[in-house]
Amino acid sequence: MKAKNTKMHLSLVAAVLVLLQLSGCKTDDFQKLDERNWELVWSDEFNGQEGELPDATKWNFDLGIGDGGWGNAELQSYTKDPQNVSMDGKGNLLITALRSDNSFTSARIKTQGKFSQQYGRFEARLITPYGPGIWPAFWMLGNNIETLGWPQCGEIDIMELRGQEPDIINGTLHGPGYSGGNPVTKQYGLPNDRFDNDYHIFAIEWDTDKIDFFVDDFLYHRVKREDVSGEWVYDASFFMLLNVAVGGNYVGFPTPETPFPQQMIVDYVRVYRETN
Amino acid sequence: MKTINKKLTKYFALILLTLLVVGCERNLDDLSPASYPANPDIFIDGFSAGLNYASFGGAVPTAFDVDQEVTFDGTAASMRFEVPDAGDPRGAYAGGAYYTDTPRDLSGYNALTFWAKASQAANIDVIGFGNDMGESRFQVTVEGLAVNTNWKKYIIPVPDPSRLTAERGMFFYSEGPENEKGYTFWIDEVKFENLGTIAHPQFTILNGESQTDISFIGVTKNISDLRAYYNLPTGVNQEIMLATSYYSFQSSDVNIATVSDEGVVTVVGGPGEAEITATVSGVAAEGKLTIESIGDFVLAPIPDKDPADVISLFSDAYDNVPVNYYNGYWEPYQTTLSADFEVNGDHILHYTDFNFVGIEFSSPTIDASQMSHIHLDIYLPNALPGDAQLQFELVNEGTEGSALYSRTIPMEQAQQWISLDIAFADFSGLNDRSKLMQLIFVNENGNMSSFYADNIFFYNDGTPPPPPSEPETAAPVPTVNASDVSAVFSDSYTVIAGTNLNPAWGQATVVSEIQIEGNNTLKYAGLNYQGIELGSSQNLSAMTHLHLDFWSANSTSVMVFLISPGPIETPYTLTVPTTGWSSIDIPLSEFAPVDMGDVIQLKFEGNGDIYLDNIYFRK
Repeated sequence: MKAKNTKMHLSLVAAVLVLLQLSGCKTDDFQKLDERNWELVWSDEFNGQEGELPDATKWNFDLGIGDGGWGNAELQSYTKDPQNVSMDGKGNLLITALRSDNSFTSARIKTQGKFSQQYGRFEARLITPYGPGIWPAFWMLGNNIETLGWPQCGEIDIMELRGQEPDIINGTLHGPGYSGGNPVTKQYGLPNDRFDNDYHIFAIEWDTDKIDFFVDDFLYHRVKREDVSGEWVYDASFFMLLNVAVGGNYVGFPTPETPFPQQMIVDYVRVYRETN
Repeated sequence: MKTINKKLTKYFALILLTLLVVGCERNLDDLSPASYPANPDIFIDGFSAGLNYASFGGAVPTAFDVDQEVTFDGTAASMRFEVPDAGDPRGAYAGGAYYTDTPRDLSGYNALTFWAKASQAANIDVIGFGNDMGESRFQVTVEGLAVNTNWKKYIIPVPDPSRLTAERGMFFYSEGPENEKGYTFWIDEVKFENLGTIAHPQFTILNGESQTDISFIGVTKNISDLRAYYNLPTGVNQEIMLATSYYSFQSSDVNIATVSDEGVVTVVGGPGEAEITATVSGVAAEGKLTIESIGDFVLAPIPDKDPADVISLFSDAYDNVPVNYYNGYWEPYQTTLSADFEVNGDHILHYTDFNFVGIEFSSPTIDASQMSHIHLDIYLPNALPGDAQLQFELVNEGTEGSALYSRTIPMEQAQQWISLDIAFADFSGLNDRSKLMQLIFVNENGNMSSFYADNIFFYNDGTPPPPPSEPETAAPVPTVNASDVSAVFSDSYTVIAGTNLNPAWGQATVVSEIQIEGNNTLKYAGLNYQGIELGSSQNLSAMTHLHLDFWSANSTSVMVFLISPGPIETPYTLTVPTTGWSSIDIPLSEFAPVDMGDVIQLKFEGNGDIYLDNIYFRK
């Protein structure tokens, strides 16, 4: 109940802000969004001690180099070493990509087997890492991946970023017939700013008809059931993942100029469901 | 026209300001008027208002021109730079600065941006802004900017825009030939911008390292290697070199060391420790200098040698002769660095990371043949792990090579001045010191990590220099008429034909003829005895004297004999050693009872090394 009130309050503030912007210098179109009442059902605020691993009741680890670099020719090896994944003691989770000569370590955590949900609002507030070949993501996979496989299970990329474009994020759906290099995707660029300068909130709002992609509560991408070329596979429970990849088909190789270490700083991950 | 333009610009700015104020409903009171124009444009399609260009000294003056054919994105004009070939008589490089007479307020911009391309892939040596052809207090430089044949946008971040409220240096560059070859590059759309896409500035001093200096009251030192790194919109970091004025320096204890706005650290107290750190616009710079002050510096003893007896390489007590360098940074094995300093006007050499280091004084070389010693004062600032072994090497020009002397520094002599006076005689292998050109220090056993040095000079300690072992001048030229002479050995006369200067009489003497100032001179080295067989028997009854020129620095006994068959021989004692050439005319009567009608041989007996010339009989 508390969350509900907060959300309504936030919406009000947002509306006022939009109005101010309209009468101010911005020329953005007014976003007429549906009224929603969100109830917080799951969250991790990452308020642990410095050096602590993610809450084991909420997160699992993907470890190692995966099959074919996790299917993407990624270069890093994932660990559960605190130097790759731990709390900072200031309310954040740090996922840190490290370079040692030509090998890289990083971390990938997921709620698989701990938490999943069909429909609702999924959001994370975070600061992205940067640099050529750095590939952070906040994303989701269908719970049925182990029985149906990918891409039949469906994939919702709430936020992906190529480190050589630190001002652009991508919101994407992968499903049967529209996966890999041919997904349903859209970019959102920050005007004269970058996503590693400060926290931004990346979210989707998902219901039976559509998935809406938001950056800082700005709707930049709406995918309706009829918009996808293949099967709509988003009527099932999905789990969440957070990771920082290094290299891979999507982002390209890191260069000698890529600054290391690189950190994704996650303030929180929250999941809501709609109430009436 | 200039004035009108400026007025228009101001007027336009005012309109813009008004629009902004109305648009965003900001309070006019929040905005203080800028003192100077905030025009961000440097070169868009031509010089911006008030912009001047000056070529740097030694650069090709015409290297820069406005190009209307090769431009970025089809705009009206670009800047073209023609880098000369190596050896171009017009200048060695292309370089110059764009500056304004009236300063501009650039505090609203955080980057200088431009587009550039080149006729070939190249690295522009330096490019940046803040060079106002004067103090250039807020200069920012990128070194080795990589350009290629495609237009590309470049960004040079402004470290702290709030400093640039009255900047005159808009843009500058300097580029020499690439592999001796000239080429052309173009730059266009040069302007200041406010970019939200450059991020994560990191500032450094001292290369970002933590450096510790053992120091003394009165020592000054500049904080150097000021750099910053900005992450560009491409995700890669750009290094820039920035002027001292961007930094604010702090000392953790101003009673030990102070630091000026210009980054000059002065040790003012001690013993004690002070940390020198810096910030740029409130962001801490990486790197720090820790001063470990010992307190009062004890200067090396003031030399008391008479300047007339001294050839000084490094001393504030004497005039120093020309020295090429005090540290040759000899690659690839030398690790020794220099951290020379000055205490109350006294200059001190300071060698750190010491393995070996050379001082060169080859142009001109030093003739130390009248000197007897080398003096130097050294101070080892760190405690020694054991006795140190310091080797000195003196190099004389030529193939004779170098001479070595090694000295043990007992470990208890660390942290105090040690005065060393080393006689040249103690250097093994120093055959000649008339063309000295290098003095090399070698850390023989690795125990000396660093040392100070002062008062390095050659001197004469008052003992006369050892006499030369060989005549420096030729023997005097004889003046007696040839018709009155019967000569045995001389360049001035025809000698008696068939004379054997080195008959095998079983002697140990080594005979040679050497040239002294172009004059053939007879040398007897290691004389015991030595004969001369005349080519024919000589009737000397018409002659009155035997003439000899002789020279010896080390002989204590020499006799000369005339011999007639029998043999009948009579010695005559010569006075040795000589001071320079001795000339003697011995009456032939001294050789009685030798038969002057039948003289067949001469003989010398004695010791040492003898030089002889102009051996003849005369009337």
